[in-house]
Amino acid sequence: MTLATTRSIALVGIEGAVVDVEADLADGLPAFYLLGLPDASLGESRDRVRAAIINSGESWPSRRITVALSPASLPKRGSSYDIAVAVAILAADSKLPAKDLGELMLMGELSLDGRLKEVRGVLPAVLAAARAGIRRVIVPITNVQEARLVPDVEVIGFRSLGELIAWFRGLEPPDQLPIQDQLMPDVKVPLDLVDVVGQHEARRAAEIAAVGEHHFFMVGTPGSGKTMIAERMPSILPELDRDGAIEVSAIHSIAGCLSGNEPLLIAPPFIAPHHTATRSAVIGGGSAHPRPGAVSLAHCGVLFMDEAPEFARGILDALRQPLESGFVSVARTAGTAKYPARFLLVLAANPCPCGRFSGDGRACTCSSLMVRKYLSRLSGPLLDRVDLQVYVEPVSRVDLMGNLRGESSAAVHDRVMAARERSASRLARGGWRTNSQISATVLRGEFAADARGMSLVHRALDEHRLTARGLHKVLRLAWSVADLEGHDRPTIDDVAQGYALRTGAQRLVGAA
Amino acid sequence: MNREEDRQARLELMSAIEGGSTFWSHEISVRGSIEVVQRLKSGDYLEHSPSATRRIQQSDGEALRELISNAKALVIIPGDSEWPTQLNDLDAPPIALCLRGVADLRSLALCSIAIVGARAASSYGVRLASEMALQLGERGWNVISGAAYGIDAAAHRGALLSGALTAAVLASGVDQPYPSGHDRLYETICANGVLVSEVLPGVAPTRGRFLVRNRVIAALTRGTLVVEAALRSGSLRTAADALTLNRSVMAMPGPVTSPTSAGCHRLIMEHKAELVTDLSDVLLHIGPLLAENSERVAATNPRDQLTEEEKALLEIFPSRGGTSVEKLMNLSDLPANRILALLGLLATSGFIERDGAGWLLTKQGKA
Repeated sequence: MTLATTRSIALVGIEGAVVDVEADLADGLPAFYLLGLPDASLGESRDRVRAAIINSGESWPSRRITVALSPASLPKRGSSYDIAVAVAILAADSKLPAKDLGELMLMGELSLDGRLKEVRGVLPAVLAAARAGIRRVIVPITNVQEARLVPDVEVIGFRSLGELIAWFRGLEPPDQLPIQDQLMPDVKVPLDLVDVVGQHEARRAAEIAAVGEHHFFMVGTPGSGKTMIAERMPSILPELDRDGAIEVSAIHSIAGCLSGNEPLLIAPPFIAPHHTATRSAVIGGGSAHPRPGAVSLAHCGVLFMDEAPEFARGILDALRQPLESGFVSVARTAGTAKYPARFLLVLAANPCPCGRFSGDGRACTCSSLMVRKYLSRLSGPLLDRVDLQVYVEPVSRVDLMGNLRGESSAAVHDRVMAARERSASRLARGGWRTNSQISATVLRGEFAADARGMSLVHRALDEHRLTARGLHKVLRLAWSVADLEGHDRPTIDDVAQGYALRTGAQRLVGAA
Repeated sequence: MNREEDRQARLELMSAIEGGSTFWSHEISVRGSIEVVQRLKSGDYLEHSPSATRRIQQSDGEALRELISNAKALVIIPGDSEWPTQLNDLDAPPIALCLRGVADLRSLALCSIAIVGARAASSYGVRLASEMALQLGERGWNVISGAAYGIDAAAHRGALLSGALTAAVLASGVDQPYPSGHDRLYETICANGVLVSEVLPGVAPTRGRFLVRNRVIAALTRGTLVVEAALRSGSLRTAADALTLNRSVMAMPGPVTSPTSAGCHRLIMEHKAELVTDLSDVLLHIGPLLAENSERVAATNPRDQLTEEEKALLEIFPSRGGTSVEKLMNLSDLPANRILALLGLLATSGFIERDGAGWLLTKQGKA
């Protein structure tokens, strides 16, 4: 036997394609060729595989070795093909029984001494394997928990190439790590709204945002609690369902930020890129091979952009595509990847560059022009997609001294879930998921507020206090308020709350 | 005189004579409809109107009643409870009116305004007409117009959007949509108002009937608003009729170079119409009659329109500088969602506004 084939998975975006790894041993000068558009890290696979096989006590075939990864036109990268290459060579050299290799997906990196090392992207790869009909996968033991998230697939983990070879030769696989209850909630102490003192307006806005998934903009002086509130948004959002959890975990797996012990993310992710982050880091990218950015890591969760005006303008504007469509397409030389990116955007900003423009503004050292210009760095088209805006004041002395604790996240979460339940069947009729998606045309018809509520916004429209677009925002917010209050249709009070909390043409910073 | 005999006689007269004739109005008011019919039939008016004599001799009372019921119409005559008595201001009030629709014409017309204008309207005029009708409708004013193309249709559509009632006074029978392109508009008006005509069902419109119809529109309403009219426009006739009846006549100006506004400019120049530019101007002329029906009419002091709760919140606003939901909560003991609702209500009525540093009083709020 001089030819053997094993299988592995190549990832493009979060989709995976089955890759056949063929090894051929031929007569001729001893050499080792690797074909199929490998990148640098995959090219080095030859040296790792050779060292690992020899250091596992096997002999290296002194022949002309050709390993082809097919489909040959698909660019491949990374170190996760190591064990597939090693097993293919050993099988071609008749050191292993080649039977059933086609039913097996192999994934893992080899170290020179033959140990199997953890790799990225195991979850999406196993998902892809399962979709391709492969029912048995072999991964490094540290990736077992992650791979086990995929139902109906047998996962076998190994610590070293030696163990793997022994298993092929008929020995029992090594002891697997204990299997965790896969839907065990996060054991970390989660952040809770109890810690937020005062800030009733922002709390209310956060609650409304959680009901209707309205993007949310907080303006306030440093230290007033903007970040505290944003960090606690996941605690009042609905937990991910199983499909959502796997999808989110798969994205995090590709980015290499999934923990081996808790491979399944159940809580909505909270991602806060720093304001110096590059466009690739936020949107997704990389030099040749696309990688998911912060917007995709925040999929089904919260993307928090603190100091929003400090982000490069292009980055904020690039958010418009994912905000609109729920995914990003990233094109690189190695192909175009499409990553899901449906997130709740929370923006925060200081009122001015120095951050002290509050109260009578006397502490502020910025010129009036700087103050005026600061928030206008956020482009109109971006703010058009943001429904809610609140001013977050520094916590008052009364609130601080009173030592009153806020309402707990659990209580708010319950209300949010009840409101979402109320809206679900109504929204499903129009094919929407959340109130923030209701289309503008029906907001004036089937999804209008009650007569008094509509006359309120129409009057504001007549008197130029509201634009047509603003009117739609107010009504979408009013639906979320109505869902919270248990109204069948937004009342005048619900609409008024929506009006008070909308983003819009109000002067962002103005008269002291 | 028996009411039903009167109705029958007037029905026969409708089939024989055209509306808008002072001669016949005089005859009917002096002699009564029944005697006029008898005299017509016996040929006493042969010299004055041979065609009317011929037509009444051919008319068949039974067939006329059938015609009315087939058109699902209703005939009202002076003295009926649905009869709008303001029609009696006319020199030649309609002999009777055919109605089709759901609304009671008399109560609809009590608080109504005519919005009329050119059929060949510009987009400026169409937009103004529908905006004005919508805003008036939201304040409880019903719009009456003629269901023609252009301004008329825009006015009806605006009124329908507001949820108010609207009436279309037609020059043709109530079962004869004219222009036929407005079939759906007619159906909508029927379901949300009433179609009115002083001719029998099945009768086609003529130039004369359009002009005669205009006086009914003018008489039914408290005022006539000419949105856009060329120098030769039927709506100028409506305006003239309204003026004769001492109703308010208002006109909206357009660009001085626009031929579709030339009629309006002429009315204003000759002091026949008041220049109006927005809702408050119009309400000034037709009177804030409906204060009790509309929620927040622009009254002398808008503060009077506020609820006690809104006033209380406004009281605790600082006269200078901004305030926040937190501060208002400390001062008022209201929960955050209640305060947000009140802030929204006060902001939509222009008492407060939002800026980067919270909520502040506007000029209106400080007054």
